[in-house]
Amino acid sequence: MIEVQNLSVRVGDTRAVRRVNLSIGAGERLGVVGESGSGKTMLALALMGMVPDGLTVDGVIRIDGNDLSRASETTWAAYRAQKIAMIFQEPMSALNPLRRIGDIVAEPLLVHQGISRNDARQKVLALFDETGIPDANRRLQQYPHQLSGGQRQRVLIALALACDPSLLIADEPTTALDANIALRITDLLVRLSRERQMALLFISHDLSAVSRTTEDLLVMYGGDIVERGKTRHLLASPSHPYTSGLLSARPRIEQNAGPRRLPTIPGTVPSLFDLPPGCRFAGRCDRELPICRATIPQPAATVSGGFASCHLLNQPSQDQTGQAPR
Amino acid sequence: MRRGAIPANLMVGGILVAMVIGVAFISTFWTPYPYAELDIANKFHGPSSAHLLGTDQLGRDVVSQLMAAAGNSMTVAVLAVLIGCSIGTALGLLASAKGGWVEEAIMRLCDLGFAFPALLFAIMLAAALGPSLPNVVIAIAFINIPIFARVARASANQVWTREYVYAARASGLGNLAISRDHILPNIAAPIIVQATIEFAVAILTEAALSYLGLGAQPPSPSWGRMLSEAQTLMYLAPQLAIYPGLCIVTAVLGFGLLGDGLRDITDPRLSRQRRG
Amino acid sequence: MGYFLFRRTSGFILTLLSVSLVVFLVMNILPGDPTLSILGIESTEDARAVLRARLGLDAPLAERYVTWVFHALQGDFGDSYTHGVPVISLIVERLPMTLSLALSGMALTVLLALVLGITAASYHKRPGDWGVMLLSQLGIAVPAFWLSMLLVLLFAVKLRWLPPGGFPGWDDPRAAVRALILPTVALAVVQSAVLARVTRSSALEVMRLDFVRTARASGFSRRRILWGHVLPNALIPIITIVGLQFAGLVTGTIVIENVFYLPGLGRLLFQSISNRDFLTVQALVMMFAAIVVTANFLVDIAYVLIDPRLKARSR
Repeated sequence: MIEVQNLSVRVGDTRAVRRVNLSIGAGERLGVVGESGSGKTMLALALMGMVPDGLTVDGVIRIDGNDLSRASETTWAAYRAQKIAMIFQEPMSALNPLRRIGDIVAEPLLVHQGISRNDARQKVLALFDETGIPDANRRLQQYPHQLSGGQRQRVLIALALACDPSLLIADEPTTALDANIALRITDLLVRLSRERQMALLFISHDLSAVSRTTEDLLVMYGGDIVERGKTRHLLASPSHPYTSGLLSARPRIEQNAGPRRLPTIPGTVPSLFDLPPGCRFAGRCDRELPICRATIPQPAATVSGGFASCHLLNQPSQDQTGQAPR
Repeated sequence: MRRGAIPANLMVGGILVAMVIGVAFISTFWTPYPYAELDIANKFHGPSSAHLLGTDQLGRDVVSQLMAAAGNSMTVAVLAVLIGCSIGTALGLLASAKGGWVEEAIMRLCDLGFAFPALLFAIMLAAALGPSLPNVVIAIAFINIPIFARVARASANQVWTREYVYAARASGLGNLAISRDHILPNIAAPIIVQATIEFAVAILTEAALSYLGLGAQPPSPSWGRMLSEAQTLMYLAPQLAIYPGLCIVTAVLGFGLLGDGLRDITDPRLSRQRRG
Repeated sequence: MGYFLFRRTSGFILTLLSVSLVVFLVMNILPGDPTLSILGIESTEDARAVLRARLGLDAPLAERYVTWVFHALQGDFGDSYTHGVPVISLIVERLPMTLSLALSGMALTVLLALVLGITAASYHKRPGDWGVMLLSQLGIAVPAFWLSMLLVLLFAVKLRWLPPGGFPGWDDPRAAVRALILPTVALAVVQSAVLARVTRSSALEVMRLDFVRTARASGFSRRRILWGHVLPNALIPIITIVGLQFAGLVTGTIVIENVFYLPGLGRLLFQSISNRDFLTVQALVMMFAAIVVTANFLVDIAYVLIDPRLKARSR
């Protein structure tokens, strides 16, 4: 459905996203995790043809076989919403406050499909039903500020689904929501992907949301994909020190044994303009080798059946990891 | 914007303002010819070495008139803005210091002031008192009072919540002393910015009133009045309708740019918005 | 909503009354005997006393004010001294002129400002933006009456496309429209310079909001996003300034009418000042101030109609 080869997003020579390859087929669900600043939102925007002014996109983006890497803004606009749709982190502000919910969701139908107001209304009601928005008839007349955060995220999903896209990109869709509402939204996304045979790209820093939603997983750091694999296997036996760090930084309810310091990855994501020449995780990594700062690591097979870009994987002597391939 | 770099609007505005004020100052002691000197034999002369911009319908030197008019224009603007700014700032400080019904009353009075556009108020005064430049000063000053009262009150209200003001109050200083020693210096920047902008507005208002015959009376020179005289001669000597207008634009543009530039450098919140 | 309307309306009426008091006081307690200026210095005290009685000037100030307000509420502003007819009939006769000028000026102002402002915002930090900003900086500095003269010089004196002034009346609509073109442009250019800047900065603020990204993700065209999503959300500050500008526009008509010799209220105001027809002046000044106050009042109410969130809060 969508295929990306060697995708980079850069400002001058500074790359926010570096040589990313990925592909998602119909009904498949791919997750991208990473801290903020890891380039995952930029990757999503590149797939929408919506990177901010001043940034350059290199590489190949193929949607349904058509290469869009040289496409004009008009071509992109035609693909958006009809082939690829996106929902965002902040359901509070992502809806036009001056429009009624019904009109917001109907707009792409009226504009892109040219159907009548009445048909659009029926379609909106069906979408509300599908996305679990109760009391649909009354909602049509309401304004965004009259809805709860969870309801607004459902409206955004309904809006994204309006023109039956074959790929839905969800950028941190649950971050701004309460935990139990977040669960329902992720379950909704999984159900929609299955029922509609729709590809889903689920972007989050929240590993539990990702593990619940996706089949395959990319771990991003500093614009690089540092590890990839089947979500379940990858999270069960992480190979890259960054993935391990993310996993141990995750709060666990079952470990609720009195006050405990949450382990965190020391340091912060380096600024794009201040990146180490070798592995971008060098400097924060607790298992750093001399080679790490100098050379960019190449992807190598991992025990979880995926790939990771880490020099540790090529150092059989580092057997305390127990993960290096023989 | 680079730190320490002078923004373009501030620089251009500053140069234009310096030019206008310089010419106005020089005109108080020297102009090429006495501005009111008639020389009917040499009327409607084109530009020449004797008369740089030629002469008007009465043979008066245009450059001399423009220079003297700059003096008039600046005097009116300085006096009007100074008076309006002093009274308005004092009222704003008082409103902020006293609060309660005093603040409410002063601000309602200011609202009332906003019902009268400067030009309308000046027209009303001219109708009641007769047309003259001093009445123009009074009218513009009056209109400026509520403007400065609002700016002063809004800025002062913020300063009153600062710690050093609490400290000053704890040390037993009265409202008046705090307003003078702590509030006023801290609201000077927005007041000065506003004054620069109102200066530009004052020049425009004076020109419009003089054009309408409610400002400078003959033979007192004014850009506005020169334009109203030129209008009747538009077919005969169109060039006379150009120069005074250019002078007005230069002066107003200068103060406007200067005000914008000052605001950019003194109000980091606004300039950050602009950069963003 | 009801309470909100009540509060705003009572405030509006109170402001109107205060304005009338200011107008009355300025026109009546400032030095200068109107009968003296009407009849001249050589007039006899007796003649002036007769005129004073006729104009109702011998009653106490407070009583005269109350009488004036009550009569004005019934549309009676007294008789014009120079024209010998009721002031109200003069106003009614000239109002259409001023109204057509003010409304056409307003329409052109809003049109120019929205197009320029939105264009500038959509070319933010590129030449299109700088060009519009430079143009508006210039537009603000140009006095409307001088711009009028330049327009007349070019289009009436040199090119002879349009009349230099005067108004033929609406009997000949074509000629009437031709006569209104230059005054309308002169009025609108200056006002739209201010409004274009407000539109630009307001649109820039809105363009950063998340829902604009949602609209882009929905595949809408740039134009649809700018005019359909950004502009409505940018309107509140724009409407505030439009309201304030209406004041400038109305006083602008006073000047413009005098430049182009258009027989409207502004021209009447000036003729009345030079004729020392002070009842007419008083009525006209009050009218202009009332228009300004009313415009501000309508702006306050317009907010609520635009933004459903305010409607909820104002209930």
